[in-house]
Amino acid sequence: MSLRRSVAFRVNLVFDVVLAFTGLGTAIAAVLIVFTRADTLAGWSKAEFLVLIGTYQLITGLRTTFIDPNLSWFPETGIREGKLDGYLLQPAPSLFLSSLSLSSPLQLIQVVLGAGVLTWGIGIADRSPGAAGVVSWLVLVVAGTVVTWALSVLLACLAFWAPKLQLDVFYHSAWQLGRYPTDVFARPLRILLTYVFPMALIASVPSTALLRGPQLGVLLAGVLAAAGAAALAALAWRAGLRRYTGATS
Amino acid sequence: MRTAVLLGFRLRQEVLEWSGAWWFLLTLVVQAVVAPLIGLFVWSAVYPGDPAIARYYVAIILVTLMTESFEQHTFSERIYNGTLSHELLRPQPVVVGVIGMNLAIRAWLTLLGAPIVLLTGIALQVGFDWWAVVRSTPYLVLAAVLVFLWTFLLSLTAFWTDRVHAVVGFGSQLVFLFGGTAAPIGLLPDGLRRVAEVLPFYGMNGLPAEIAAGTRSGGSLLYQLVWVVVLVGVVMVLWRAGIRRYTAVGS
Repeated sequence: MSLRRSVAFRVNLVFDVVLAFTGLGTAIAAVLIVFTRADTLAGWSKAEFLVLIGTYQLITGLRTTFIDPNLSWFPETGIREGKLDGYLLQPAPSLFLSSLSLSSPLQLIQVVLGAGVLTWGIGIADRSPGAAGVVSWLVLVVAGTVVTWALSVLLACLAFWAPKLQLDVFYHSAWQLGRYPTDVFARPLRILLTYVFPMALIASVPSTALLRGPQLGVLLAGVLAAAGAAALAALAWRAGLRRYTGATS
Repeated sequence: MRTAVLLGFRLRQEVLEWSGAWWFLLTLVVQAVVAPLIGLFVWSAVYPGDPAIARYYVAIILVTLMTESFEQHTFSERIYNGTLSHELLRPQPVVVGVIGMNLAIRAWLTLLGAPIVLLTGIALQVGFDWWAVVRSTPYLVLAAVLVFLWTFLLSLTAFWTDRVHAVVGFGSQLVFLFGGTAAPIGLLPDGLRRVAEVLPFYGMNGLPAEIAAGTRSGGSLLYQLVWVVVLVGVVMVLWRAGIRRYTAVGS
């Protein structure tokens, strides 16, 4: 249904596809410019950077395909326009309906492009990843996607307490930081991006596991972080719903 | 003179109107400073201990805040929801309202973003030559005009397409890459640098920042002025064509 809606407007389709290409192209160009001046950046080689950008693009693609169409501008669309009221009347869990019922399949182009850059990075890497590296990358990408979903839900939950607070622009800006390894940033920001707003888990951690080999501790921490974030999101949603009195009341 | 007075009134009205949305404005500040901050971290990692990099990027952050434009939201939405008709019926040029809102948002972003610039400057122990900062003022004014014209030009495509955000997004990518945020123009590979120095984007961010940071002692105001004239011409042509195409029902 979502796919049919998207391909109905062909010019828009062309715009979206072109923008996906140019957006990724710009990000890669910015990094390649750095590598004309240096061989490594904060200990990361060009190949590792490409793997990181590919992984980041892949998870971003999943987010824009499955999560953003539901939770973007939630205080406005979900609460003030009363979409949530409709979901609460349906028999399926409201958290599922509110966060995953709609999708924007065309954005999957970002996933395909991300996979392409990932393959490029692996292709020019000094050593190809082992089976254990690939498996731990997969596990960490799944964990990163779960954390992404949980962060979006937590952000939406804020609307139950502060309906006027609109943090989407802030969230998408902070998301940009995930495109670079956390090693690049100064220490306070690095700690923030690892433990508070875990952008490190989106791309840095899986990319390290893929090319430098898996570390059991990191793998475990990733899975635990995903489980913890998902549980926290579910709890916050339930607590928010208890406060919620309806858009029209 | 009458236009200036009208603009003054509109600016005052918009500044007051936006004062209620200070939290949202703060998120816009964060959006504006993220890309230059990433550039700062990346290039500081490549050239650790080079004070010129930090100085340049602190200047870029300030220039970005002072020149941000959002006509794809403020103006294009009026085309989409038909309220442009109200503006067209007023006995004043439509662009007065657009510029008034643009300046009001910039003023708020500069005010709210100033602490971030100050903190970054202090944290990195950046020292400016204040004479260079004063000298950069005309370049900054022309940069602000250029960014507005570029964003407004792309926003005018809303007369023809409903994907104006994609169009402006593409424009912003060009500014990011060739304007001096992704990398200072001097650090670009030769071929790319020559292209960047001719395109208008360098005049939007990099040039005033380089002059304020003291990396460049003088630049060509003529280069910026030529692009202002070109963009004004294109904007006028597009505006006339767009307004002929515009239709609204019932508003």
